[in-house]
Amino acid sequence: MTGGPKLVSILRQGAYLIASVHTALDDSQMVRFRDDLVEQIGRHRSRGVIIDVAALDVLDSFGARTLRTIGELARLRGAVTVIVGIQPDVAFAIVSLGMSTGSLVTALDLEEGLALLDHGVGAGRSTLPDRRRPRR
Amino acid sequence: MTSLIPMVRRIIAARVDDAALAEDLVQETLTRVLAAASRVETGMLEPYAIVTARNVIASLWREQDRHRRNQHRVVDLCPSDAPDADLLAREEQEAVSLALSRLSDRERRLLLAHEVTGQDTRSLAGELGSTAGAVAAQLNRSRARLRVEYLLALDRTEPPTERCRPVLLALSGGDRRRQREVDAGRHLLECDVCARLSEPLLARGQNRDGEVCIPIRSDGDIVAARQAARELASRLGFSRTDLTLIATAVSEVARNIVRFAGSGEVVVSLLERPRRGVHVVARDTGPGIADVEQAMVDGYSTYSGLGLGLPGARRLMDEFAVASEIGRGTTVTMTKWRDQR
Repeated sequence: MTGGPKLVSILRQGAYLIASVHTALDDSQMVRFRDDLVEQIGRHRSRGVIIDVAALDVLDSFGARTLRTIGELARLRGAVTVIVGIQPDVAFAIVSLGMSTGSLVTALDLEEGLALLDHGVGAGRSTLPDRRRPRR
Repeated sequence: MTSLIPMVRRIIAARVDDAALAEDLVQETLTRVLAAASRVETGMLEPYAIVTARNVIASLWREQDRHRRNQHRVVDLCPSDAPDADLLAREEQEAVSLALSRLSDRERRLLLAHEVTGQDTRSLAGELGSTAGAVAAQLNRSRARLRVEYLLALDRTEPPTERCRPVLLALSGGDRRRQREVDAGRHLLECDVCARLSEPLLARGQNRDGEVCIPIRSDGDIVAARQAARELASRLGFSRTDLTLIATAVSEVARNIVRFAGSGEVVVSLLERPRRGVHVVARDTGPGIADVEQAMVDGYSTYSGLGLGLPGARRLMDEFAVASEIGRGTTVTMTKWRDQR
């Protein structure tokens, strides 16, 4: 990655990774982010990933597809991905564009995202272990 | 006669600051008075000299004013520097005379009468049995043509295709309607000669507000294009949601350029008529789209994308059109209106 401020930061928090996108990313930066993240999931044996996209003013078809890919890759590597912070205008644009985002797990913000992971979101389709499910 | 000199000097010095220039004007006034002395009644020589001095100053001011008004018409290719100044001056002279020789007789006569002799449009119109406005328009066209011929002469090139001259003329005249008619933007992408020659012509009109052109060559330019579009459109007071839709649509069409053509450009401009809106043209000289109708179908994709590029952008904008020709390239034109009907 070239100099200048970091475009994305990936922080480890327990069994989770929290990735924050700080600025608009072009396609190749987006791809590099995807690869970094998937690599770190393996390295840190993470079970959940939160991607904060609140700083993105545009999520076009490529951006949305990459998020979807990350979700799929993470799932295959045994982690659940939650996208948080999609702005209302961005959400509207995604819907208008006609993208299907059904496979993306989302939450309003970071706090909600963490709560979602703690409660074992998508346990049915992910490999999140049973002990993470809330006892009833 | 000699008694007039101090008075004339005083009149002129009061109106002209530059001492050397003032002295020139004094001499000119005296020459005129002297020439007319035999026709002027005795005793009237002094008032005659006063009026002459004022006239001489007035014509100087007119001259300066005309110079100032016409300054912007000069195409300044490159400021010459010392060692080769002579050579350049000679080349320039040759280029100008060659360019002039390529105008029609009528055009040349009119242009020289106005620009060199300083005859105004009204008296020219009187001679030609036309109106001042028509003469001014004709002069504008001739100047545009002269600029093009001058650039060609200076460059010692002949335009490679038949389309070149009309395109350069349209650019030189700054006539946007004509530029659209001859599809000037596309031609500049295709023709290296015109792309090079048109630079000084385009630089003349650069102060035009409300339009940005973003060259698209790599991923990073996609981001630059959508940010420029958002920035420009925000001047019309679009809502945040609309700005995001516009930026997303620009992102999609710019990506198509990078993916399929390698390079091209995105031009974003603000529209006032028929309604306020933002107009986006994305053009490339890539391979073209074989089946535009198919490309407009959701999910159709020739690379591992979602196939949402064109149909998605169409849904985001109010108006949308694709023109493509195999081997020549693709132009996507789209508009978002500020005020919905």
